Amino acid sequence: MTKQPYIMVVDDDPDLVEAVSMKLASYDYRIGKAYDGQDALEKIQREKPDLLVLDVMMPRKNGYELCNQLKTDPNYKDITVVLLTAVADNVPTTSYTHLDGKSTLADDYIAKPVDLEKLSEIVKDYLV
Amino acid sequence: MHMSEIGVSGVEAKPSILIVDDEERIREGCRKVLLNDGFEVATADRGARGLEMIEEKHYDIILLDLMMPNMSGFDVLGRVKALHPDSTILVISGYATVEHATEAMKRGAFDFIPKPFSPDQLRLLVTKAIEYTRALQDIAGEKSRTRVLINRLTDGVLATDRDKRIVLANPSFQRMVGFQEQEGCVGRTSLEVTRDDMLEGLIDQALAMPEEEFVELAEEWKSGGEGGSGERIFNARCLPFRDRSGRNVGAIMVLHDITVIKKMDQVRSDFVSMVAHEIRSPLNSILAQIQVVRDGLAGGLTEKQEEILGRASERIRGLVSLSSELLDLARVESGLILQEREQIDLGEMLKDQRDFHSPRAEAAHITLDLQLPGPLMPVLANRRNIEEVLSNLIGNAISYTPEGGQIELSAAVENDYVRVSVKDTGFGIAPEDLDRIFAPFYRVKNDKTRMIVGTGLGLPIVKSIVEAHNGWIRVESTPGRGSTFHVHLPLGK
Repeated sequence: MTKQPYIMVVDDDPDLVEAVSMKLASYDYRIGKAYDGQDALEKIQREKPDLLVLDVMMPRKNGYELCNQLKTDPNYKDITVVLLTAVADNVPTTSYTHLDGKSTLADDYIAKPVDLEKLSEIVKDYLV
Repeated sequence: MHMSEIGVSGVEAKPSILIVDDEERIREGCRKVLLNDGFEVATADRGARGLEMIEEKHYDIILLDLMMPNMSGFDVLGRVKALHPDSTILVISGYATVEHATEAMKRGAFDFIPKPFSPDQLRLLVTKAIEYTRALQDIAGEKSRTRVLINRLTDGVLATDRDKRIVLANPSFQRMVGFQEQEGCVGRTSLEVTRDDMLEGLIDQALAMPEEEFVELAEEWKSGGEGGSGERIFNARCLPFRDRSGRNVGAIMVLHDITVIKKMDQVRSDFVSMVAHEIRSPLNSILAQIQVVRDGLAGGLTEKQEEILGRASERIRGLVSLSSELLDLARVESGLILQEREQIDLGEMLKDQRDFHSPRAEAAHITLDLQLPGPLMPVLANRRNIEEVLSNLIGNAISYTPEGGQIELSAAVENDYVRVSVKDTGFGIAPEDLDRIFAPFYRVKNDKTRMIVGTGLGLPIVKSIVEAHNGWIRVESTPGRGSTFHVHLPLGK
């Protein structure tokens, strides 16, 4: 039997982390949880996940920053990153104006509100 | 003609006349006639005496003998012109040679009268002179009123000639562009005064505007340091000034300070963004939580529970899209869409949109066709904005067209615009609703449309985007037969 894949779910909304985790856990993945970019980084350094479900707008370290940091680090660049984006995050009041899921180093993205079924499909594709 | 006929009332001061002539007979004759007519009359028997009187006092009209001993009338004339440019000079000539008379008029005399003359001839000439003086004074008065008015305006006003030399720049304008030279700016070039490429560009554009075209150019212009606390934002408008034959003889520019409006607009759109985000986050979580429960991951559900949660999800999805559209509207209105414009091939974009919407159309048994006349000239626009416009119009067409209907997308170049049309065989729009469908939150509600999900913000967003791109949107509709939306966008030349 192959090693059980390890997925980390990162979002500053604990309820969303919980719901996403429950869904992914039902496919027999091992799940880690983190609640902002910095928290995630510390947990990744302790145990490297295979895949990261990463929210964008978070305190301390946002999803884009963490994603780019991991993707430019030889130790972590093989972690698959799936961004959770809201199209309407591209508003002038945020610092993400010129960015969307496609223009970062992330492997994939899914728009909020998250369709858990679709997210599961994406995750499955990367973890075969 | 008497005074009353040329408008001298008791309220107005009597016109004053000075008679300078060495011949007493003429001096006194004129004095009597003019006094009788109600003028204030003074006389001088020599040129030198006349000069003294002119130094002391202003006369409206000076009757001047050209040929006098010691001092010629020409000398007096020159002095009068220097001291009182608005005095009107009438020349009396003893031997009325054309040379003397024309010479006097060249030097600024208004007219001449040859000796001998009758009282009526004198009256006629003086009356003419008075009318002329009045007209001059009216013009001067009007000019000074206009000048005071322009100088008091809080908007900046600039007028140039065709060589971009400044004819007028009011104090507001000088303050707005930061011009502080003591010598003033009249006669300088516009660039010396504005020291700004954008304003200079507007003036160039206005002066180069062809005769058959007449548009007011408008740009947002900033001064006082980008983003700093001293930054002011102006609406700069510029248009050519034309003579009767339609040639551009200058440019006029008006600067209007819109800093406060822009700031309030920013506060408003920040607020809308904040509220929308604060609503979105929990709604996203709730949707995920409901999905987990419906998947049975938190225990089994009855069919009824599943059905209720399904409906709850739909309602929440509606709120999520409302918040998205509020954000879009705030974004569009805050002018972000003016950024990042590129050359866009609307034909290619329409193909992509057709492909994107086809599955939904097919599911509703609606045909979705695209008619293109051939390659289209590109437009200069923001890609995401225009995708949003097309997507919104096509999405609406699908929503408001019953099963078996047809939607036709088409595009063509018309004059300086690309026209994109979205034509459907849907429910159509009643005439009384046509004006209102572009207003925020307005939705046409009737038996046919009640079940269609929407927020009423789609078309206002479409309209804002199209107008921000200097285009326009138009709709034609026949209830029961269908609607056609036409979007016109200027070619990206």
